Amino acid sequence: MPDVLEFRDLKKRIGDAKQPGEQRLLFERVSAAVGPSDRIALLGVSGQGKSTLLRILARLDVPDEGEILLDGTPSDRVDPRLWRMDVCYVAQHSVMLPGTIEENLRTVSRLHDIPFDRKLAERLIGELGLDGVDLRKQAAELSGGEKQRFALIRALLLRSKVLLLDEITASLDRGSKERVEKTLLKWNAQEGTTQIWITHDLEQARLVSRRTWFMARNTLLEDTPTETFFRAPEAAEARDFLRIGTDEVQI
Amino acid sequence: MTWSALGFTLLFVVVTMLVSVWKKLGLERDIAIATVRAAAQLLAVGYVLHFVFHSEKTWLLVAIIVLMIGIASWNAAQKVRELRGAVWRIAIAIAFTEGLLMSILLGLGIVDATAQYIIPLSGMSIGSSMIAAGLFFHHLNREVQSSRGEIETLLALGATAKQAIQISLKRSVKFSMIPTIDAMKTVGLVQLPGMMTGMIVAGADPVEAVRYQILIAFSLACSTAVMSMLLSQFCYRLWFTKDLRVR
Repeated sequence: MPDVLEFRDLKKRIGDAKQPGEQRLLFERVSAAVGPSDRIALLGVSGQGKSTLLRILARLDVPDEGEILLDGTPSDRVDPRLWRMDVCYVAQHSVMLPGTIEENLRTVSRLHDIPFDRKLAERLIGELGLDGVDLRKQAAELSGGEKQRFALIRALLLRSKVLLLDEITASLDRGSKERVEKTLLKWNAQEGTTQIWITHDLEQARLVSRRTWFMARNTLLEDTPTETFFRAPEAAEARDFLRIGTDEVQI
Repeated sequence: MTWSALGFTLLFVVVTMLVSVWKKLGLERDIAIATVRAAAQLLAVGYVLHFVFHSEKTWLLVAIIVLMIGIASWNAAQKVRELRGAVWRIAIAIAFTEGLLMSILLGLGIVDATAQYIIPLSGMSIGSSMIAAGLFFHHLNREVQSSRGEIETLLALGATAKQAIQISLKRSVKFSMIPTIDAMKTVGLVQLPGMMTGMIVAGADPVEAVRYQILIAFSLACSTAVMSMLLSQFCYRLWFTKDLRVR
């Protein structure tokens, strides 16, 4: 099956671009591809550039080198707006827009002048355990966990081909986290949406992904089926990462 | 006012100097420079205006207005030096506002089409547009920084630059108009505007002076509103890169 999203030899430095001496390499030689319905877990210790990679894929950031392609078309030949309608980034710290919750949910309909899919919104609200919330309430009054789930619904209503999920369950309690996982797995099965999950929750990574990308040594060190990665990771860094992660889980 | 009377006004400068010396403010040099500059600039403008008023040459009138717009645009753009292309956008917005204002004033015969009216009214309108532009840029710059999350959220959902910055633009236009509206509310109660005071001192009938002041107040409010609205349409793209990311 043709790749939906592909990136080749991405390189990113961080720091003040005007002072090259002050910059440091975040990652380089980062290449991979994802097909329709793929589910990827993007793992690695903090500071490897996982979020930056997702932001680059959503074209909210730019790489210093390398190229990204959507359905085989290089990014410089696709309008960033159309790109983002296909490749949607959901941030770790969700931002609610000024106005009510319903106005937030209607954002996609308003931006793209398409009818508001109330039925779908209500279904997702139910699945994510938000039925009791009054949609006429100001979005700013929601709790952190509620904001995160409503922000996810807002993004799902875009029906993008690819969802880039940046630690979206980090601030959720166990019950809400499981609801999000279940909803997104169902979404993947029904809509065929490609999903790339950044997570530090290894249990979650095993559950939601078929493939794992592991970032270390300033690059994408492993790109293997999730089951293989958790059973027999190749790199020493990956073994350490899994051991520490498992210890943390046990603690 | 006679030249000797004008000379006596230096007494005010002397008092200011004495305060500075007495309180050891160290401002004597600055006061001296400011005094000389203020006197020289105003006298020069006085002579230029005297010449223009009597020459009746249209090109000279236009040249002065263009110069005023140029200086005002450059000055307002200093607030956002990092944004390239701001100067000419401000210049177009001010020029359009000035054109609209003059069309109404002259077209409806509210004032005579002579340099004596056109230059002072243009000066006030351009000056107030300059302040509004400065405030607008200053506020929008802060808005974009503080609302970066909101703007990026909208971009991530496929918004255009205009859709993404709309909320910040609205707040900035409002912010740049507040001083003019506040001034309109308190004019005559808290402050007697300089133009009106000047006319009364120069011997004009106070009611006549007030009529002109009302004209000025309303036209300035109009200039500020039109100017801020135009500027928001011309300039919002400056806060985004070519590939639609927030700068």
